[in-house]
Amino acid sequence: MNNTWLEKNTFHYSDFSDLKLLVEQKEKKNLTISLCLPTLNEEKTIAKEIIIMKSELMTRCPLLDEIVVVDSGSTDQTREIAGEYGADVYKASDILPDLENFRGKGENLWKALYITKGDIIVYLDADIKNIHHRFAYALIGPLLLSDDIKYSKAFYDRPIAIEKNKMRATGGGRVTELVIRPLFSLYFPELTQILQPLSGEYAGYREIFETIPFPIGYGIETSMILDIYEKWGLDVIAQVDLEKRVHRNQDTKALGRMAFVILKTFLNRIEKLGLIQKKKEMFNEMIQFKLEKNRYMPDIRQLEEHERPPIIGVPEYCKKFSSKPQTHPEHTPFTSEKTE
Amino acid sequence: MESYLDKIPSYVDAIKSIKETILTNIILIGQIPAPTFNEAKRAEIFQERISQAQVDECTMDDFRNPIGVIHGTNDSKPPIFIVAHLDTFIDKDSDHNFTIKTDYLTGPGIMDNSAGVGVLASLPEIFKKLNLTFESDIVIAGLIHSLGKANLQGIRQLLSAWKTPVRGAICLEGGELGRLNYYSYGTKRCEVECKISSDTGWEHRFQPNAILILNDVINRILTLRLPQRPRARVIIGKIAGGFKHGIIALEGTLGFEIQSDSDQMVKSIFKDITDIVDGLSHEYQVEMKLKTISSINASTLNFNHPLVKSTVAIMKQLGLKPMAEPSGSELSIFLNHKIPAVTLGITRGHNYHLANASIEIEPMYTGIAQIIGVIKAIDSGVCDE
Repeated sequence: MNNTWLEKNTFHYSDFSDLKLLVEQKEKKNLTISLCLPTLNEEKTIAKEIIIMKSELMTRCPLLDEIVVVDSGSTDQTREIAGEYGADVYKASDILPDLENFRGKGENLWKALYITKGDIIVYLDADIKNIHHRFAYALIGPLLLSDDIKYSKAFYDRPIAIEKNKMRATGGGRVTELVIRPLFSLYFPELTQILQPLSGEYAGYREIFETIPFPIGYGIETSMILDIYEKWGLDVIAQVDLEKRVHRNQDTKALGRMAFVILKTFLNRIEKLGLIQKKKEMFNEMIQFKLEKNRYMPDIRQLEEHERPPIIGVPEYCKKFSSKPQTHPEHTPFTSEKTE
Repeated sequence: MESYLDKIPSYVDAIKSIKETILTNIILIGQIPAPTFNEAKRAEIFQERISQAQVDECTMDDFRNPIGVIHGTNDSKPPIFIVAHLDTFIDKDSDHNFTIKTDYLTGPGIMDNSAGVGVLASLPEIFKKLNLTFESDIVIAGLIHSLGKANLQGIRQLLSAWKTPVRGAICLEGGELGRLNYYSYGTKRCEVECKISSDTGWEHRFQPNAILILNDVINRILTLRLPQRPRARVIIGKIAGGFKHGIIALEGTLGFEIQSDSDQMVKSIFKDITDIVDGLSHEYQVEMKLKTISSINASTLNFNHPLVKSTVAIMKQLGLKPMAEPSGSELSIFLNHKIPAVTLGITRGHNYHLANASIEIEPMYTGIAQIIGVIKAIDSGVCDE
């Protein structure tokens, strides 16, 4: 396998720590940048993300133009806290309310396209315990400093919180290594160079996001990579080492459900590409077992993975963004299809 | 003095308007583990933060204390020092990630002293926001090697290397809002170590118990007659020893601190305790060592010193009730160098030295306003007499 992409398009966050230069490039290219934080019951971490991003990338250095929280219907104080610290807060169900309502991270990201105004959109998970502004500026950096890169994705060490107040140095990334990497190796060896394809932190130009479909749940990261790769090729993608990201550890059963959805998304994508042919439709139920009173009881979850179409096809979106120029003089429009 | 005293309450809202910057500094610096003797990384981040705030000079002194200087308008005025110790009691493997909600910021070490350090690093931005300039240079110093066995080495080194006069100083601590320290007791922090031979020969068949011997040390310390004047006390603060429930303890340590407003009295009590330890060591025929961990000389500003009076006035102007008590911190080293100084608390907090220590966010803005007021007081000459 040729790994020239890995060498050429892999960066370290410190490559972009000159924030002045990033702001200069942003202004030169006449761009606006939105940060979107999708949330569901993130009252413990949301304030810290907003405070640090606002302080470092809005007040001290005007790299971000807005911080938007799109919430799936938290039952804790997430929305109140986020509003208190100055983010624009929306309930996902209140955005484009005439459409059928779904619940999931991908749904929030898709709807964020409608309510944000940035030419570049940065998506960060809202559960990052060690949040630092590098999580945003390092993803924006390649987009501003390169004319070719249109989508950037994070990778990192993943220490996990193992018990109250204690950390384990390595771990996490199990779904990546057990599910996605084998699948990429089987069908798209080139994509194995993306070290953490499931990382929840990425940024890209609006023109990219508005023209690809968004699965509403766990499949969003997988489908996004496959769609961008298929449409524009690997060279528009960059990956950035953000070093350490501390997150909540998920139990194996939860990871199993995540793997279920990702597998389904992947298989549907490769069928669409003509790489496989399914003889029958796949089921929508993930079946796990739990021990209750010395009996194994099935624990069945419906995991239907709905998918939002490219938002560019939604009339309300077109109406809202119709007055906006589709391209900017300083950055290349995406008219070319994949050339590899 | 009245000219700035009236303005101080109006600072609170202006300071609050840059709350993100202040909270970010507390979080980004406080999340870096900094147990005593391992503060290098935190010192680096502190320096990075004040450098990004574009102070006029930014450096590390020879002892690796990070320092920023904001130039004043009058070269003839000595500088004003504002300091906070960088080290904490929290070990480096603890989860240092802070959590924040509407009213509270929570994380290990936040009261002692990440809130103090974060506010210190925010001062350049706060001065800009309030559009403040001073006659004196403002020296902002994060201090390493302060707590426990470090015995305030950071501030000692900084002041011994600083050969020119210092106009006045403020030491910042996370809590408690309202504290006003302007005197320090002479203190001697000590440890008694008791070790019993684990040999099993005939002569060792009635092994003494290290814990019981230390208990005897405590009992004899408690029989010491301590005077009302000069004030003096012995605080028994720590005890550790033994292996398991059914085994005689062969090792133990006892930590205590002698405090008095007279250095002579501290020496005298220490001598008494030395005699107690030597006597018991001989009596039980065990190895006992009395070690001095750290010591500070007694020093004080008078209550009617203009700096103390001004600070009280500023606190009252902000609706704070000053609480005077002795402090064994950096303050004592300033006072020993004849530099007028006070220690101030930033805000109220909870679970002071626990993993879930937290600060109240809202009172912090008043705490910062009081610091600005005291800087202005020093800059107006209250320490110049």
